[in-house]
Order: sequence, then C-alpha cells, then structure tokens
Amino acid sequence: MNRLEEELKKALRQVEPPTGFAERVLARAASAKEKKKARWLWVLEWMEASTWRWAAACALCVVLATSGILYRRERQRKGEEAKEQVMLALRITSSKLQIAAQSIREIGAPEGPQR
Amino acid sequence: MREHQRMVFSIAYHFLHNGAAAEEVAQDVFLELFKKLGTLESRAHVTFWLRRVACHRSIDYARRNKGAAAEVSWDELPEPSHSIERGQAHHDPMLTKRLQQMVAALPEKMRMVVILRYQEEAGLEEIANTMGIPLNTVKSTLHRAHAMLREKIGQALGEANV
Repeated sequence: MNRLEEELKKALRQVEPPTGFAERVLARAASAKEKKKARWLWVLEWMEASTWRWAAACALCVVLATSGILYRRERQRKGEEAKEQVMLALRITSSKLQIAAQSIREIGAPEGPQR
Repeated sequence: MREHQRMVFSIAYHFLHNGAAAEEVAQDVFLELFKKLGTLESRAHVTFWLRRVACHRSIDYARRNKGAAAEVSWDELPEPSHSIERGQAHHDPMLTKRLQQMVAALPEKMRMVVILRYQEEAGLEEIANTMGIPLNTVKSTLHRAHAMLREKIGQALGEANV
C-alpha cells in the first residue's frame, strides 16, 4: 500500500454517529409502527361504529348499481330508436327511388304501334 | 443496530460531508432494514445489504439536494473514531482534513468507490457488487481517483511552497 492509500485510510476512518442516534432510529420506527396501527384502528372503529353507516353504505351501493343499470338500458333504448329511424328513412328513400325508376322506364319506353 | 451504525453513518457522512444529512440517511437505512429484516439470511448478508443501501441512499440524497453540500464547513468534521485510532501511528490532522476535502470534491461514483475502498477496506469485487457496477469500471474509477487526488495534492503542495 502506498502513502496516498495510507493517508486515505486515515482520512476516511469510520466516525461515531451523534449521541442518541440508535434511540432516535428506534423512536422513528416505533412512531411509524404506531401510525400504521392507527390507520387500521380507524378502519376497525369505523366498521364497528354503527349499523347505520353500514346501511348507508349498502344503500349507496344499491343506488349506484341501479342507476348504472338504468343508464345502460336508457342508452340501449335510444340506440334502438335511432336505428329504427335510420331504417325507416332508408325504406322511404328506397320506395321513392323505385317510383323514380318506374317513371324513367315509362318515359323511355317506346309508345304503342302507330297507325 | 449498534454493531452497524458506525459503518452506515460513516458511509453517508464521508459521502455527504454533512452530519445532519448523514444522520437522516442512516436513519432511513435502518428503518428500511427493520422492514426487510425477515428476508435477510445471515449477519454477512445484513452487512452487505446495509452497505449497499447506505451507498445508494447517500447518492440519492446528494442528487436530490445538489448544492447543499457546498455550504457545509469542513471545520465541523469530527475527528476519526478514537477507538480505531488508538495504537496507531500519529497522523497530521491538517492533511487528513485536506484529503477529506479532496475526496468530497470527487464525482459521486468515484467518491463512493474511494469511500468503500478506504473506509470499509472493501475488495474491488465487493465494491462492484455493492454499487452494482462492473469490476473493470471499479478498477478504472479507482485508478482515475488516485490520479486526480495525486494531482490535487501536487497542486496543494505547490501552493504551500509559494
């Protein structure tokens, strides 16, 4: 090992962390654990709190599900209606075209034998 | 934890050259260790894991807080641990401080390679594994670090002689 390496080893020796370092880490770990626990406790408390909340939550779910179904049906009905209207328009157009074609044929057809 | 706290703190400290930042990083490393403790198989694995996470967290911290390091006074640096110093030859504290400054001025990866090599006395392969870089990169980085430090020492001596 050369001189530079020896001096680097001296310069980069391990240093002691400040006093109370381990205690502060343990305190932070405990606080993080408490926070996690508190989050779960809140959920449990909420669940135990009252049957009204559960009823309200269930009712909300039912309302949301029902309105979802109704909305879907309404959209389907409107789609069907629009489809029918388009079909009707096509049928009308088709019959008009047939009449026009008939008229053209009649105009273009040679007249009966002349005397 | 007490067994490893000096190693983790020192990596962060020599890298960030800021006591408060080093403590923050070291605390984060140990909090992460508590979460992962079940997955670590042996004492050697714990040491390797701590060293690796301390390296990466220190580099991340330095990147997030670019510029903050320059504000730190080097007079705040504590003397190396007395427990290690005991029984060893006398050394020049001014030279030690100067070298710490020079190491602190090295680029991030180079700085970490030097810290792992001389603080932790890690082998080249160990450094490569810890930092997740190829062995040849470690070798060339260390070689360049020596060259840069020699040049800086040369300049410093030149200035001192003027």
